[in-house]
Amino acid sequence: MSVVFSIDAPYRGQYELHRLTYGSGGPSVAIVAGLHGNELNGIHAVNMLNKMLRVQRPKGTVHLFPLVNTFGADQATKRWPYDDQDINHAFPGDPDGSVVQRIAHALFESTDAELCIDVHSGAPHVRELPQVRAPMGGEELELARAMKLPVVWRRPGIRLEPTGLIGAWRAAGRKALHVVGGRGITLDNRHATTMANGLANLLGHLGISANMDSPMETAGDVTHADVDAHRASCGGFFVAEVRVGDMVKPGHLLGYIQSPIGGERLDEIRAARTGVVMTIRAYPMIHAQELLVRVAATP
Amino acid sequence: MTAVIQVELPSGDELAIIRRRFGRGGPGVPRVAIVAGIRGDAPEGIRVAHQVARALEAIEDRLTGVVDVYPCANPLGAHQGTRVWPFFDVDLNRRFPGKESGHQPDRVAHALYSDIRGAVQVIELRGAREAFSEVIHAQVRERDTAAAEFAMGANVALVWARKPGPAATQTFAHQFPGTIVLEGGTGNRLNAEVGKDLEEGVIHLLSQVGVLAEKDLPFHWAAMSRPVVVNDAQVFRVRAERSGLFLPEFTVWSEVEKGATLGHVIDPEDGAVMETILSPTTGRVMAVREHPVVYSGTMVARVVTL
Repeated sequence: MSVVFSIDAPYRGQYELHRLTYGSGGPSVAIVAGLHGNELNGIHAVNMLNKMLRVQRPKGTVHLFPLVNTFGADQATKRWPYDDQDINHAFPGDPDGSVVQRIAHALFESTDAELCIDVHSGAPHVRELPQVRAPMGGEELELARAMKLPVVWRRPGIRLEPTGLIGAWRAAGRKALHVVGGRGITLDNRHATTMANGLANLLGHLGISANMDSPMETAGDVTHADVDAHRASCGGFFVAEVRVGDMVKPGHLLGYIQSPIGGERLDEIRAARTGVVMTIRAYPMIHAQELLVRVAATP
Repeated sequence: MTAVIQVELPSGDELAIIRRRFGRGGPGVPRVAIVAGIRGDAPEGIRVAHQVARALEAIEDRLTGVVDVYPCANPLGAHQGTRVWPFFDVDLNRRFPGKESGHQPDRVAHALYSDIRGAVQVIELRGAREAFSEVIHAQVRERDTAAAEFAMGANVALVWARKPGPAATQTFAHQFPGTIVLEGGTGNRLNAEVGKDLEEGVIHLLSQVGVLAEKDLPFHWAAMSRPVVVNDAQVFRVRAERSGLFLPEFTVWSEVEKGATLGHVIDPEDGAVMETILSPTTGRVMAVREHPVVYSGTMVARVVTL
């Protein structure tokens, strides 16, 4: 384990950015988690992958950054708590800038690999089926599919903002994938394990590691047009009737909205296609037009 | 008073984004939009919007155009004193032009954008950034000489022609070329003097854009401040190099010589001086950090060379 960046922290010790490296030479992969301090499933997944790699002799290089935003994680905040800045809006960073820009710069520089993966949880109010978000085609899509995560979501504009980590990696010519699973604030061991297995599958596909394949199968390999996003017709209290990963058919009751006071049923949300439930609103108090459920088409 | 958009909260409560219209519209009649409270931690801008509206009530019959005042774009944030839109945790000033069918802040951004589009001049009112005191100044886009010239009449100390940052395209001001952003005071606080100066500046701008005759100004325009225009090369960000507590030794808009002591960073435990921060240039202090905790790299002041 090495410390690639540190900075004195007033009233506490030091902030340190830790990297765990296995193997040497190519191909090279960098895997980052905990950029958002309250997204714990990614942190757990990368630590599980770390345990798998300890007993391997990788043919290539794997850099792991299990937890970037340690101070945010301490306080269950997504952003860097001192000045409430999102590290994921500070890339490629600046070695002479603010603390968040310095962390971003150090992370960006120390993830100089051919393939970079940023692992997240869903937002605290949303639960996501483990999924990899990839571009519409090319080698990145092939690599995304090799993870065999439950959902591969091909998105044309995925995180291309130059100040986001994925956008900065791509702008620098590195292949980049975005993995998401579970929800923020909570640890979901099942989803974290799936994500760890997906990362291990990818390392196996690249020939970096052996005997780490997991028998997983992708349920939905979709574009935006293949995903039904069910939004709330009104504000209220949303009660889900399905879980992420459930297979549904047209007409299946996905959930309903009731009045938060009195419980009067205001609307029902039903599936419009055959598919897998990939996103569910977890925090029940909802505003009109908020996303409640995503169903990804299955073959 | 009109609700540009009304949004329902899950508990059944409702939020309205209010527009107050002064003057009469019609074909060819110029319209000016004044918007405050895009971030909930800038009460100074909200106060100025209300003061301007009150002044316009008294002189409405003399307006030769329309002035739309939007006193608070992020009322839930203002309710809690937070920069971001609560619950969704998003900065409304990164959501423009918004989405008609998006989440609540996106719909608010879209409604505001749609309502304001077509205005001959847009003025955004802010306070100072959080944890800072700042001199009253106007910000315009780099190379927009017409906006810079216009902002000279805003009763500010300084007009800063800024290069747009990487997220600029999603900001409110970016949607309307020529927008003038007025800032000053202290983050999340009110300052009566700043409020009065900005109020008079905004009303004076109305006379410059043709919706109010100069003779109908409720004060004498000759009392306005005469600002200087500066660009990014003239504005120096001064950063702490040591982590600790920053104690400033100067006030906003004081004159400083190159090499003068701007403040010290002390150890938060034993109080020992760890760093003396010096002015990188001769000029004036535009902004001072008011919250003492700093990291290596935290900005503690802005100094402008004039």
